[in-house]
Amino acid sequence: MKTSIAILFLMIFSSCSTVKEYQKMNINDPDMVLSVQKIEKYETTFQTYREAAAGANGGKTGGGCGCN
Amino acid sequence: MREIMKIKFILVFAFLWMLNVKAQEAPNAEYQKKVLESTEVDILMSYYAQDGIHSSVAGGEGTEELTDFTSSIVISMPIKNNDVLTFDIGISAYTSASSSNINPFDRSGASGGGDDDDDDKRAIEKPLDEGGANPWYASSGASMSDVLVHGSVSYSHSSEDRNTIVSGNLGFSTEYDYFSIGIGGGITKLFNEKNTEVSLKGQVYLDEWQSIYPTELDSYLDGGLDNDFFDGVTIIGNPDYEPTNFELNTNEKRNSYSVSASFSQILTKSIQASLFFDVIIQEGLLSTPYHRIYFADKENSFIEQFQLADDNESLPTNRFKLPIGTRFNFYLNENFVLRTYYRYYYDDWGITAHTASVELPIKLGQKFTVTPMYRFYTQTEADYFAPKEVHVSTQKYYTSDYDLSAFDSNQYGIGLKYTDIFTKAKIWKFGLKNVELRYNHYTRSNYLDADIITLGIKFID
Repeated sequence: MKTSIAILFLMIFSSCSTVKEYQKMNINDPDMVLSVQKIEKYETTFQTYREAAAGANGGKTGGGCGCN
Repeated sequence: MREIMKIKFILVFAFLWMLNVKAQEAPNAEYQKKVLESTEVDILMSYYAQDGIHSSVAGGEGTEELTDFTSSIVISMPIKNNDVLTFDIGISAYTSASSSNINPFDRSGASGGGDDDDDDKRAIEKPLDEGGANPWYASSGASMSDVLVHGSVSYSHSSEDRNTIVSGNLGFSTEYDYFSIGIGGGITKLFNEKNTEVSLKGQVYLDEWQSIYPTELDSYLDGGLDNDFFDGVTIIGNPDYEPTNFELNTNEKRNSYSVSASFSQILTKSIQASLFFDVIIQEGLLSTPYHRIYFADKENSFIEQFQLADDNESLPTNRFKLPIGTRFNFYLNENFVLRTYYRYYYDDWGITAHTASVELPIKLGQKFTVTPMYRFYTQTEADYFAPKEVHVSTQKYYTSDYDLSAFDSNQYGIGLKYTDIFTKAKIWKFGLKNVELRYNHYTRSNYLDADIITLGIKFID
């Protein structure tokens, strides 16, 4: 299962052709950013406090007690 | 002679070619686009409210009512052409009924300021019809509210060709019983005409508790039932209250180390994806000192309606976390963008979790975007979790914190963003770039509900 997912990812990421700078109008749309948006900061914080899982979203991975 | 003419011709040709190259390079050499064109100021505010029935301060049963108001300001400034300096400063003020019951018998309301007067700790009996201590209601003690202050500074440098970005950051956060320092750095490389991005980051958090314990536990440790705390009060149920498992923490440090790798790829003119991978190691005091535990093999003792703790939470001093996440974003057309996210999480406390979320920004003209969003989360319980009065006193590790129990959660919400690309509205010299308001409702299968409203305002110089 895990191997199949890894192969699928490799196929997806390796099968693409290069997109030129002048073709990136859609990719450069502000809503297309791949990182956590600033406005999501506090939603991510409370999720980190109320759930056991954290990380792998480009956001904070530790620090602070989160105990309230 | 013919050879000399040939050399002259080559030299002239080479000179003209060089001039031509210079002429082509000149504009690039003179105008290097800045990484950040102008100073950006982001103001963020949020209001969070939750309620539930599984207070970990009351051993797994009791009110989890909490409100939190947070605001912060993030200022990003260009330094020359290639560097960006960012400051992030914020303050968060919360009131928590659950935390207030660290000392559920404190009705003085005068214990603020962190003094250690015995008066603050003494159990003050009240008839039940006048609202005696009860895990379902807040006390008025100092721990019912606190303020968290955080700040960080980060610096990033981009190479001339913008294919390498090196960054570093330093930050802190502090509240009454907790202090955290964070330091980190990273490098990002772009390849393949900036279609591929690989990033590696390291982060260390050096945290320290100033332990606060459930009042009856540390009072008992200092003189047993002869301590002033128990003076003149009636212990209902088992009158020989004896929390013998309890001891003070000898190590109050909590360190977190993480290495994060990410890989991003533009797949087509309208699709891009990324893969995130974190390795997180935590060590030190990973339990929360004021979380109560009630054992199945100990007789129950009460003051008023509040059950006295048999011990506080006990958890291992190490934790290894391994989250892996992926995002796929699709530019469907000029009106719709689809943002998707999935994460798998594993840790060595026995928790596995899955997170999936989807957002659909819908552009209504050039200025407004409406974004409906949904997030699903599920986790298994930690090896050390059990509800109230299920653990036994011979166990090494135990917690009744329902954040570590098995549950599913659903979060759904909506966002509204106003963007003015011409930044017509001005405050001092800053123009308003956008305003975004988001509301989310969160509901957990073990009876915790929360709402969060976030407001973000962006100004540019």
